[in-house]
Amino acid sequence: MTYLTPGDPKRRVRAIQAFVVIVAVVFGIRLVDLQILEADAINAKSYANRAVSRVLPSLRGDIVDGTGAVLAQTVFKYDINAAPDIVNPFNRKVNGQDTTISVEQAATEIATLTGQQQPEVLAKLIGTGKYSQVAKAVDAAVYRRVKKLDIPWLFFDPRPSRVYPNGAVAGGILGFLDPDGKPLEGIELAQNACLAGKDGEETFEKGVDGIKIPSSAITTKAATAGKKIVLTINADLQYFAQQILTSNVAKLQADWGTAVVIEVKTGKILVAADAPSYDPNVPGKSSVDVRGSRVFRTSFEPGSTMKMVTAATAIDAGKVTPESHFIAPFSMLIPHSNGYRVSDSHVHGNDKLTVAGVLRDSSNTGAMQIGNTVPWQVRRTYMEKFGVGSKPGSGFPGESAGLLNTSNTWANDVIKRYVSTFGQGVSVTPLQSAMMYQAVANKGVRLQPQLIEGCVDSSGNLTKVTKDKAPVRVVTEATASSTLDILEKVVEEGGIGRHAAVPGYRVGGKTGTAQITDPNTGRYGNLHAISFIGVAPIDDPQYVVAVTAYKSRTISNSLGATPIFKAIMSQVLRTYRVPPSTTKSANIKTTW
Amino acid sequence: MSTARLTQAPRATRQLPARASLRSINLSGLTNSSSSRVVVATITLGAIAIAIFQLLLHIATSSSVYELAHLQTEKRDLTTTTQILGQQVDSLASQQNLANAAEKLGMISNANPVFLRLEDQRVFGKPKAALTADGRVSRNLVPNAAMVRSSVIVAPTSTVAEALAPVSGAAPQAAAFVPAKVNVANGSTAVSSVVSNSGGIPASPTH
Repeated sequence: MTYLTPGDPKRRVRAIQAFVVIVAVVFGIRLVDLQILEADAINAKSYANRAVSRVLPSLRGDIVDGTGAVLAQTVFKYDINAAPDIVNPFNRKVNGQDTTISVEQAATEIATLTGQQQPEVLAKLIGTGKYSQVAKAVDAAVYRRVKKLDIPWLFFDPRPSRVYPNGAVAGGILGFLDPDGKPLEGIELAQNACLAGKDGEETFEKGVDGIKIPSSAITTKAATAGKKIVLTINADLQYFAQQILTSNVAKLQADWGTAVVIEVKTGKILVAADAPSYDPNVPGKSSVDVRGSRVFRTSFEPGSTMKMVTAATAIDAGKVTPESHFIAPFSMLIPHSNGYRVSDSHVHGNDKLTVAGVLRDSSNTGAMQIGNTVPWQVRRTYMEKFGVGSKPGSGFPGESAGLLNTSNTWANDVIKRYVSTFGQGVSVTPLQSAMMYQAVANKGVRLQPQLIEGCVDSSGNLTKVTKDKAPVRVVTEATASSTLDILEKVVEEGGIGRHAAVPGYRVGGKTGTAQITDPNTGRYGNLHAISFIGVAPIDDPQYVVAVTAYKSRTISNSLGATPIFKAIMSQVLRTYRVPPSTTKSANIKTTW
Repeated sequence: MSTARLTQAPRATRQLPARASLRSINLSGLTNSSSSRVVVATITLGAIAIAIFQLLLHIATSSSVYELAHLQTEKRDLTTTTQILGQQVDSLASQQNLANAAEKLGMISNANPVFLRLEDQRVFGKPKAALTADGRVSRNLVPNAAMVRSSVIVAPTSTVAEALAPVSGAAPQAAAFVPAKVNVANGSTAVSSVVSNSGGIPASPTH
C-alpha cells in the first residue's frame, strides 16, 4: 500500500523523536528527583499515612518455689472500652430472628457479667466522646462472656496482669507490682532484672477494614519474655506454717508472728512465714507494714534465745564446759552500774546449775555469769561472727542488720554489756536468730541464708545466685556439738522446752521471753516477744525452726511459741522424710 | 490564429500556491505483514495474561491474609481458653482449695504423728486419733483472691459403702468428691485395705 504525504517525513520523525527525547529527559530528571533525591522523605510520608505501629507487650517471668509450684505468673486481663458517640441500639439474632437490643439492655448484660451496677455501666456508655472505659482489667473468663454478647460498640484491650495463684502463700516474700507493672516490693522488686521482659514493636500497613495489606512491609521486633525466678521456699510447708502461725497468733492475741525454717547444711530458707498473712493479688487491702516480711526486716531484742550464743562463746573460748558450775540467784546486781539489778522470770533461791542447767532454766543471772567468764571484747566479736549487727544477705530487699552496739558504747556502758548475755540491748531479726542456730547446727559454720535459687532462662538454664559472703567459722565443731547437747537438755528437761519435743526425734532448742521497750516511756512494758528456736534431729541436724509471737497477750512466756514450733518442725520432718533418731542424748548434768 | 493568440498580450497569470510535492510511502510492509500481527497479538495477550495472573495472585494472597487473620484470631481464642483453664487448675490446686475441700471431706491432719522405722519395726510416738481438738488448723486462714474455682463437695452420705458406690444419674462435676459421714477415728470401715497403685509406700517427695 502506498500513501502520498507532503513534505519530508524524515524531518517530522526527527522532530517527534526530539520531542519525545526532551519529554523523556524531563521525566527522567523528575524520576531521579522523586526516586532518589526525595525518595526517603516521600516514602516516610507515605508510610506514615498507611503504617500502624503497636507495642507487643512482653510477659513477665514466673516466680516458682523450690518444687516448681508457680507462685506468681503473668496472664492477660482485659479493659472493656466503648466509643459513646457510636453507642446505639443494635440487632442481634435471637432464635434465628433479628432482635433489637437497646443500650439499656446491653448495659444490664454487661453489668451482670462484670459485677457492676447497671446505672454505672450505662453512665459510661452515654455521651459524645470517642472513648470510655466501661470495666478495667476483667479476667479472661469475664472478657470472653462479654465478647460473646457481640456488642458492636465495645472494644477490648488486653493488658498483662500479675496473678499470684496461691494468694497469700509467701505473699510477703513475693511482693507486688503497681497497676502499670512496676515492681514495688519483695522478690518482684529485688529480682526485676531477671523477671522483666523486653517489649517488642510491630509496624504494618492496613486497609480500612483493619486487615494487613498483602505484601505490606512489616517491621517486627519480637517481645522477649522475662525469665523465671526459682525460690528456695517450699510452698506447701509455707502454707502449713502460715496456717499454724495465723491460728496461734490469734489465740495469743499477739500483734504479729513469724516462723522461719532453714535447711541447716545449705542455709536455704524453706519457710519465711508472717502472720497476719498478706495477699499480693489485692495489696490495697493490707496495711503498708504488712506488705513486706517481718522475718527479714523487723528486729527486736531477742531475749533468752541469745543465751545459746553466750554459752557457745564461753565454751569456745575455753572458759567453761557444759557442766561447769554456777550458782544462779533469783537476782543480781550488775557491778559498777549504780544498782541496776537483773532478776530471773520466776522467784527461786540460789540454784546450783551447770551451763546446761542455766539454759534449761533460762536463768538471766546464770547467763550473766557465764558471759562474764569471757572478756566483753571477745564476746562481742563472737556475736559479730554469729551475725548480730550485719545483714544476713538472703536476697530479700530491705533486710535489717539489727543492732549490736559499738565497742565504744559497750566500753562506756556496763549495763548494755551485761544484759546482752541474755538478749537485751541487742536486736536481731527472726532470720538472724534462725541463722545463729544454723551455725551451731552446721558444726559451727554459719552460712549465708539463701532465699533465691536462681534465674532460669527460656532454655531452662539455671543461673544460680552467687553468694557474696563466705561461710563463717563461728565456733569449733566440738563447741557446736556441746552447744547442741545443751539445747537438747532444754527440750528434754525444761519446764517449757519439753512442749517442743517431737516424738521419735532428738530435738534441741531454746525458749525466749523478751521484754519490749515501750516507746512512750522508754522502759520495758508488760508485753513480751515470745519465741522458740530449735534444731532437729540433734544426731544429724538438718532443720532449724524459729518461731516468734510479738506482744502475746494471753500467754506471756514461750509456752505460747512451743506448740507452733512443734507443729511446724513435725511437718518439716515428715515432708522431707527424715528418719527418726537412733541415738540418745548426751549425758550432761544440769545441776550440781 | 495561432499567431494572434501568440501576439495577444499575455494575461496576468493567476498566482496559484505552489503545490507541495508528494512522496509515496509504501505502508504495505506495516499493514499487511503477518509477523507484525503476531507480535501485536502476542504483546496484547501477554499483557492480558499478566494482568489476569496478577489479579489471581492478588486474590490468592488476599485470601491467605484473611485466612491468616482468621487463624490468628482462633489462636488468640485458644490462648484465652488455655489461660482460663490454667487459672481454674491453679485455683483447684491451690493450698486454700485443697484445705477447704479436705475440711469438707472431714479430713483432719493428725497433730500426733507416729513414725515407723522399718529396719527394726519400732514405732515412735503414741498413736492417737486425729481430732480437731488437737490444735490442728483445718479451716483455711490464708486468703487467696486469685481463686476462680473451688472443688465441689456433694452432701455427705450415710455410709462409706454408699459413698464409694457409683454415683448414678447426673454426676455433679468431674471435680466433685463424695465424703463419708463415718467417723474413722472411732471405728473401722468397710474398706479393708489400701491399694497402692504404684506398688510402693505412699510417700511425700524426699531429697
